[in-house]
Amino acid sequence: MLRPHYLDDSGQVCYVVVNPGGAYLGADLFVLDVEVQDGADLLLTTQSATKVYRTPGSFAEQRMSVRLREGARLELMPDQLIVYREASYRQRMNVTLRPSSSLVMAEVVTPGWSPDGTAFRYEELRLRNEIQVETGGGSQLLALDNLLIRPPLGEVTGMGFMEGFSHLGSLIVVDRRVDQALADELHRITLEHDALAGISLTRSIAGTTGLVLRSLSNSTGEVNLLLRACTSVLRERWHGQEPLNLRKH
Amino acid sequence: MSYQLALQQLTDSALPTGAFAHSFGFETYIERELVFDEGSFGVWLSAFVSQSLSFSDGLAIRFLYEGVDVLELDALLSASLLPRQVREAIVKMGLRLLEIGGEIFPSPALGLYRDLVASGRAAGHQPLAFAVVARSLGVPLQEALTAYLFAAVTSLTQNAVRAIPLGQNAGQRLLRQAADDVAAAVERVPHLMLDDFGAVTPALEISQMRHERQRARMFMS
Repeated sequence: MLRPHYLDDSGQVCYVVVNPGGAYLGADLFVLDVEVQDGADLLLTTQSATKVYRTPGSFAEQRMSVRLREGARLELMPDQLIVYREASYRQRMNVTLRPSSSLVMAEVVTPGWSPDGTAFRYEELRLRNEIQVETGGGSQLLALDNLLIRPPLGEVTGMGFMEGFSHLGSLIVVDRRVDQALADELHRITLEHDALAGISLTRSIAGTTGLVLRSLSNSTGEVNLLLRACTSVLRERWHGQEPLNLRKH
Repeated sequence: MSYQLALQQLTDSALPTGAFAHSFGFETYIERELVFDEGSFGVWLSAFVSQSLSFSDGLAIRFLYEGVDVLELDALLSASLLPRQVREAIVKMGLRLLEIGGEIFPSPALGLYRDLVASGRAAGHQPLAFAVVARSLGVPLQEALTAYLFAAVTSLTQNAVRAIPLGQNAGQRLLRQAADDVAAAVERVPHLMLDDFGAVTPALEISQMRHERQRARMFMS
């Protein structure tokens, strides 16, 4: 973790997670715990792309647990995840938040390239996000976002799978202010981008609702532009902030 | 084999649950002109059986049979069906099945699930409503899974025959082919883990989400 800093005068503190050892290998397990206290505002990003290399006969795993207290805000904007040849990777994220909390989390996944120039030689990719809403009466499951891609089983080009696209971008927003009008507005933004995208609302619990954007594209740049355009709307409208500009070295 | 006729009635495509009104996303593929004939619909149907029907419906039925609390499974389905129209479709058909089941195959377990739904604690998902009734009738898991999945592909195929449109014989050929996918899914479901619940591949889900904004459509999902 790098020294915390502020990117603007909104009071949002930015922490940068440094990827340990540069890459994930077989049987690696990384555990991250994040708690955002009442009314606090955190931007969490990574120093560079997360790379998963060969994991023969095994898999690399990252488990992240996040707790957002009353009125707490988390903007989770990691660099892309690159999954290389013969890699298996499982990422589990467990978020517990309050109806008054605000969560924005983005994820971009790209295939690493094989020496022969072809993409998609990883073995298996599992990305599982579980979001619980905590109220006085206990916790309830708001969203279970569970992606599973296994290229060796032909799940790359086929209809219903990746349909020939190489890059995957997801955005999850949970906030009291999420509604159908916002979903429609973000949908119009996706139309301006070269990606196949879908947006839908989750169930509502205790007055808070989730929005899920899922997109397929063919370049990291295009996916990032799309996700950035959507999060910029939220930053400006809800927090009076400029679009996110992470100057990384 | 006292449950045979009951199972046939429950999975008959004439059972009025409203399955004729849902495409679960294949209508988006028709609009994108990626589903347009027997072969292309067969590819979509095969993906749908090996994904959604296995990892959501099939796994929910298995877990219910294994004794997992229906309330917990109901919440898992509500949370994991991210495309709103799919969630609404499954619940709409589930509520009809709970109502019909209550009239023709009442049981304490079904009464409990109906009470949870009536009091707003559960949503009432179709695979769970089916599993509760089938289990109370003594239908073994494998037969229940097979019947449920084949009923689902039958409805979808009938809908495709009307929507694409396809000939009636093409529909029958598709069902014969889908039977192999159903058999493979019934084989696979017992080996899945709790972590697999609700697993999806991106494009299938994106098409279900995009259906919300499709202009001309004949299906509700």
